[in-house]
Amino acid sequence: MAINKLMHWISGYETKRKKLLKKVPSGPLHDFLSVPFPSLDTPMDKLPILAVDFETTGLDSKADKLLSVGFVLLDQTQIKLNTSYHQIIKTKTQLEESNVIIHQITDDQKEQGQPLNVVVEKLLEALAGKVMLVHFARIERQFLQQACLELYGFAPEFPIIDTLVIAKRQLDKRDVAYDPSELRLSSLRNKYKLPDHHGHDALNDAIATAELLLAQMASKNKKDKVLLKDIIL
Amino acid sequence: MDIELSEISSFIQAIPPFDSLPKPALARLIRELTINYVRKNEALPPEGISDPRLYIVRKGALSCMSDENELISRLGEGDLCTEFCKQSLHLPNDIQERAPRQITTDEDCLVYSLDCEVIRELGEQYPSISDYFSYNSAQRLKNKMSKVNEEAIVSSSLMNTSVSDFYHSPVAGIDASQSIQQAAIEMTEKGYSCLVVLDKTKSIGIITDKDIRRRCVAEGLPITTCIGEIMTQNMTTIDIKNNAYDALMTMTAKRIHHLPVTKQGEVVGMVTVTDLMNNEGHNAINFSSIIHKAKTVDELKGISALLPQLQIRLAKLGASADHVGKSVSAITMAFTKRLIEMAEELFGQAPVPYAWLAAGSQARQEQLAHSDQDNGIIICDSMKPYDDAWFENLANFVCDGLASCGFIYCPGDIMATNPKWRQPQKVWQKYFDGWVDTPTPKALLNSSVFFDLETICGDASLLDSVRKNLLQKTTKSSLFIAHLSKNALGLRPPLGFFRDFVLEQKGKHKDTLDLKHNGIAPIVDLARIYALSQGISAVNTIERIKQAAGSAAITKSSAENLIDAYEFLGILRVKHQANRLMQGLEADNHLSPKELSKLEREHLKDAFKVIKTLQDSRQASF
Repeated sequence: MAINKLMHWISGYETKRKKLLKKVPSGPLHDFLSVPFPSLDTPMDKLPILAVDFETTGLDSKADKLLSVGFVLLDQTQIKLNTSYHQIIKTKTQLEESNVIIHQITDDQKEQGQPLNVVVEKLLEALAGKVMLVHFARIERQFLQQACLELYGFAPEFPIIDTLVIAKRQLDKRDVAYDPSELRLSSLRNKYKLPDHHGHDALNDAIATAELLLAQMASKNKKDKVLLKDIIL
Repeated sequence: MDIELSEISSFIQAIPPFDSLPKPALARLIRELTINYVRKNEALPPEGISDPRLYIVRKGALSCMSDENELISRLGEGDLCTEFCKQSLHLPNDIQERAPRQITTDEDCLVYSLDCEVIRELGEQYPSISDYFSYNSAQRLKNKMSKVNEEAIVSSSLMNTSVSDFYHSPVAGIDASQSIQQAAIEMTEKGYSCLVVLDKTKSIGIITDKDIRRRCVAEGLPITTCIGEIMTQNMTTIDIKNNAYDALMTMTAKRIHHLPVTKQGEVVGMVTVTDLMNNEGHNAINFSSIIHKAKTVDELKGISALLPQLQIRLAKLGASADHVGKSVSAITMAFTKRLIEMAEELFGQAPVPYAWLAAGSQARQEQLAHSDQDNGIIICDSMKPYDDAWFENLANFVCDGLASCGFIYCPGDIMATNPKWRQPQKVWQKYFDGWVDTPTPKALLNSSVFFDLETICGDASLLDSVRKNLLQKTTKSSLFIAHLSKNALGLRPPLGFFRDFVLEQKGKHKDTLDLKHNGIAPIVDLARIYALSQGISAVNTIERIKQAAGSAAITKSSAENLIDAYEFLGILRVKHQANRLMQGLEADNHLSPKELSKLEREHLKDAFKVIKTLQDSRQASF
């Protein structure tokens, strides 16, 4: 943990943001990088967070495609549905049947989607000055970086809160063996007695993740104010 | 939009009044939601929210406490908390309702909330929304009941009953090669006005009285002509799955009086216009006439077994509780009268004039199938001590007869077989005088059943003059009325519901709602007090409230509210009992909240509030 924090301080996302801002030409990525990220000492109840979820054709950000993006704003511990966004992306690849089953996104729907650049632009606009919240960060981080690389030639660092990692840290601390399935979004929601969630669309999953974070934070002792640096990835 | 927030929208659209919104409006509303997570033992509104909002519990539980720290209600999943909207929406407080000051979470809660302004704007476009939020419980209940009454007229029975409830089966068939005369003989023998014409076993047409008249006799055809010549081919039929209303419409449209009923294409029965028209008449009147023809107690017993069926039927037809109560009471009266006639045949004429009295629910005409019997006999003062033997015989015969017809003996022994309740007029008068002059609470509790008393059979003037004297006394005795009120106020309606429990005063939970003791009886008690204090001779609850309306006892509008509450509770009771009877279970009064829709729970809560308000004002008046 201590090393983690030190790393943030030396090569923190703010330093990286400023560095990259100088290289990136004007455009959506430049606009995104122009807004400072929240400070690591920001308390949770003041923190602007964007809960994000992607649906993809697979796990490999280079070979697989982004299918849809959903996000919602979690601002000062309130999830505001009027900030919610959901968009299916128009890609050229034919969808494999197995994926259609999981995501329920058909080729037809995909045809009516928006091109990748439009969707990523929307996401970057919403994400500026905020921390990204996801469940299992690898997918969203890699796919978003890959998309930025393809669209703008650069892959920025994003400050991320990962509800899976928060849960994992808690479980690890207890030093008791656990089943990895306990870390699934739906299992963790059950643990906090949140309503049943049958997600698999990007926006519902983003909202479900935001609710889970609120429950995780509420379970902590109220007097110990949780700061961004306590939970950032 | 509707696919993306499907989980939230399916939750919201199940909650009244949002269930009335069309899809696009619902989608707009959902976009305006804010989600908060509130820890256990914290107050609403959640930290950071200062604008007035409507809260919807998604998960968890809230308690609303009054200024005096008394529990007013508990809210669970799917419940709305309007407390913080009241000012900005100008919501009325319920009459005498103390506004809850403190709303706290009993568990960690996930709550959705909406800006009151959104509700206001939505209300401008959708009256169902503004109505829901701008009415108090009494007004909401009134709307519900006027809708119920309208529906009862529209759906009036036939829509709710299947053809299968009416049709005659099997149908009488006749081969197409038979003569017209043969058909007429067949019809006369069987008492049918219609036969299905068969080609071997296949039905190919229909022949009716009218066909014989018009196509044979009027045309001068020989009666030896085979029926194939005059039958109606390509007959109109109706599938057994249709409702009775469809059958009636088909017959009206085609101007026919007979309609073969088919099941998977095969003719299995016949339904006639008369069957459908008699539907409404298939009620107490028919029943009473069969009872009147019965010769023995055993025959009566057989008829009484049909009583639960009648109650189910009435409930299915959408009859009001008032209607069901009056029908069942009328039938019990018919049973009693017939038994008395049988007794008089057996024991000879009564030595002196008398009247058989019914007490309690039968007297009030609010009886449901096979409740227990409460009765007595009032005898002319000219009776001699030895005359009682005759009346004892009568009492034993009638009470035993009623018991074998399913009206169980009164557990409190309020029956004519008990010498105490088989007395000359002057003794009855003395009983009543005693109860009114020295109203000990216990005596009142036991005897209040006698304040609802009606003559079933015999000389009605005996009871009428006792009642006249009684009412003269009760209108003047405030002590008596105060004691009666105190007794009556012992039964309080619950606060409402919490999740699938009934929430009682002081926050206790119960699994079931006792519709009789926690809803209907308190209203019956109030009505009795109004009647006795105002000198009203009616005993039927609705009649008593109607007559007391506008008197010192109760205002006109409160009276209307109380009747609405009474009728709503009655509907639920009749429906619940019909469901039980159909499953072959005993018709009880214990309703599980699980049987109730969200809206029904809301209406029940409104009814409880109306009762509580009037109980409170009763309490304040003595």
